[in-house]
Amino acid sequence: MDTSSPAAFVNGGLLRMHVGRKVRTVIQVTRSDAGSVMGKSTDGCQLVVRGSPPAPLTSYVEVIGVAENESSIRAELWTNFGDSFDASNYDQLCQLANGELKHLFL
Amino acid sequence: MFSSSQFEDSSPLAGGGFMSSQLGGSTPSSARIRDMQGLVPATVKQISEASQSGDEKSSFIIDGVDVANVTVVGMVFNKNSRSSDVRFHLDDGTGRIECIRWVTERLDTGDLDALEDGTYVRVNGHLQTFQSKRQLNAFSVRLVTNFDEVTCHYLECIHFHLQNSKVQSKADEGSVLASQAPDLSFSTPVRGASNGHHLASTNDFSMQYNDDGLKSFDKLVLNYLQQPSNIDREMGIHVDELSQQLKSPLEKIKDAIEFLEREGLVYSSIDDYHYKAVEGL
Repeated sequence: MDTSSPAAFVNGGLLRMHVGRKVRTVIQVTRSDAGSVMGKSTDGCQLVVRGSPPAPLTSYVEVIGVAENESSIRAELWTNFGDSFDASNYDQLCQLANGELKHLFL
Repeated sequence: MFSSSQFEDSSPLAGGGFMSSQLGGSTPSSARIRDMQGLVPATVKQISEASQSGDEKSSFIIDGVDVANVTVVGMVFNKNSRSSDVRFHLDDGTGRIECIRWVTERLDTGDLDALEDGTYVRVNGHLQTFQSKRQLNAFSVRLVTNFDEVTCHYLECIHFHLQNSKVQSKADEGSVLASQAPDLSFSTPVRGASNGHHLASTNDFSMQYNDDGLKSFDKLVLNYLQQPSNIDREMGIHVDELSQQLKSPLEKIKDAIEFLEREGLVYSSIDDYHYKAVEGL
């Protein structure tokens, strides 16, 4: 059993609380180049994700990686989450997972 | 004040010798046992922190509830296929746990053959310990295709946790049995030694108990109502005022009032929103 590197659920606003640590989030892709992807977080912020995205990318993608600063993540893992995804649900989850219920996750 | 709870089988009134030994409160943990849950949604972190139930059932306790089977959603890593079994680590972002899918027939694991590292799956399985490591004996491994399932799973974990935290904190009132739940802490059994009054922070889900069986938040509400200036108010105190004065959400106030009313410590005065403390206790 290994709980050594959990990833915190974040949205755009919560990213700044975890700079330098492992995070996970889902973004809606707005632009993708080789080496980075720009997307909208579940709470409407613009985020930049650096790394090698899979090709092709679906509209929604989950990234897991290290938060570089309050609007950018260096991703280690990318997962296509499809073209339809309930972003508001996920956003609520982020808020719950960072609030009183943090101990269930981190 | 001894308040019996439906969860407590070991009161002297229960059974009378006619109950089967399984229901007869054979172990202290029966105070909080409900029937074995079905599939409990859990994060790997919750599983890693679960305590183990002492009897031969060798099940685990999460949030005070006996849990044998769990459902977990996460990513597959380090898959290893052998003739007898397929093993992999499941990483759900809160930790990693080893999963084993025993193979009886080759056809059984067709679903697992295609799994690559980083694929999201839902694993349903039986929690067990082997060489002091926790493992999942998986009876079902299914690919996640709609990723709302991932969000949903974590919300279910939260829901399960909240449901059981609320129920067990109410079931514990008046209980003289030691708690086995890891996230509740109280320093002495309810009857007997008096200890200091512990105040729990209002944001803390794990409640602390003082020595007369009342949760500290219930006591806060009661104390407010028992203040002489409030006793004198004929119409009683509105729950909104309680919510404001104690800086707590209305729901929490209502829960406390409900409990205090059941215990005969407060009563509703002019309507269902106004309460007064019972005097002369």
